[in-house]
Amino acid sequence: MVASRHSRTPPLTLVIAPTAQDARRADGGCDWSKLMARAQDGDRDAYRMLLEDLVPYIRSIAGRCFKRPSDVEDAVQDVLMTVHMVRHAYDPNRPFGPWLLAIANRRIIDRLRRETRQRAREMALSTEHETFSDVPANLDQANFDEAALGEALERLPPEQRQAIEMLKLNEMSLREAAAASGRSIAALKVATHRAIKGLRKMLQNRSDRS
Amino acid sequence: MTKTPDLIDALVEGTTPVRRLRPPLVRAALWLLLTAVVLVLIVTGHGLRPDIAERLRQPVFVLSMIAAITTGILAAVASFQISLPDRSRWWILLPAPALAVWLSTIGYGCLSDWVSVAPNENRIGETVRCFATLLLTSVPLSIAMLVMLRYAALLRPTESSAMSGLAIAAITAFSLSLVHDLDASLTILVWNLGVAILIAGLACLFGRRMFAWTASRLTSTPAKSSNRP
Repeated sequence: MVASRHSRTPPLTLVIAPTAQDARRADGGCDWSKLMARAQDGDRDAYRMLLEDLVPYIRSIAGRCFKRPSDVEDAVQDVLMTVHMVRHAYDPNRPFGPWLLAIANRRIIDRLRRETRQRAREMALSTEHETFSDVPANLDQANFDEAALGEALERLPPEQRQAIEMLKLNEMSLREAAAASGRSIAALKVATHRAIKGLRKMLQNRSDRS
Repeated sequence: MTKTPDLIDALVEGTTPVRRLRPPLVRAALWLLLTAVVLVLIVTGHGLRPDIAERLRQPVFVLSMIAAITTGILAAVASFQISLPDRSRWWILLPAPALAVWLSTIGYGCLSDWVSVAPNENRIGETVRCFATLLLTSVPLSIAMLVMLRYAALLRPTESSAMSGLAIAAITAFSLSLVHDLDASLTILVWNLGVAILIAGLACLFGRRMFAWTASRLTSTPAKSSNRP
């Protein structure tokens, strides 16, 4: 009984598992059919190699239909996602190129149709639609404050202005500023303190006047 | 916006072994097997029309029935073929000859022998039973087709749904003619052509959306699993 069971044991065969690198054609390019067949079996390396190899090809097809690079990239991603979702529908016995091309054309046509529909019923708003009738509301507040601050800085005494420029605008440390200006750290601290006080006062007066 | 290398990372990360689709002819055969089961159940439950023996001696009726079932079979094969992206669009013409024969036999029957009202026809009762047969045939076949062709939502939804609609319509008309004694010419027209136009029209109008809905229910999209904004 035992002997008969052993006699039916099949002979051991050494099987070399194919790798993603084996899916190279003689000209050095990737064999997409083989890579897709392995991807269908769950080989992640083969799948990554396939998708990365497909991107330039799909981009060249999408580049003929879309002008903006962002649209081209969106189309490429759309095609990649469709390939991912219908990868079980690919038959490895058939060529991969026509299968991919048909999917790419279908996705690109869908995007072009969607764009046309959107253009037909949507209108881009220009910035003037968003402003108010009050004149100060349309002024750029950031530029206004920057100009006032620059003006106030010009009116500071030279030693205070130098301290502010070195410590605040150029972001030097107290030690670096002292070395550069030849003044003591304490003198710089006092000058900065007085400069900020003076600036605050000048800007306050300006806003009161306006 | 996700960058393409990031999307590839997400897709590769989410990949699992997939079961390849069987060849389209095998899948069409499976669907036709289900059709045969549905037809056998309907005939068993309702019984054949009483005058079936007499009808089978009429060449026009026999030709019409053969043409209807052939249209259904060929349209089913065409819809499974056309749902795959790399198959030719010309598969859409496969059921055309059988469809032409089917429509011409109905037209010929009406022109040569117009019977406005059948002598023993109980209109309301027969209409209700016809409607029940219509639903019992077309609903399970439509659901099976939607599930089997859900991936077509991304590829060729319009062509696939038109061919599926034609297949279901022809088989439903065949089933109606098999179990109901439709004698009046107008009734034959309504329950054959009317049903065919209704089902094929509904499939063309809503097939695309139905495929998309079924696909979203039955497949997990990478857009859901990845972090794509």
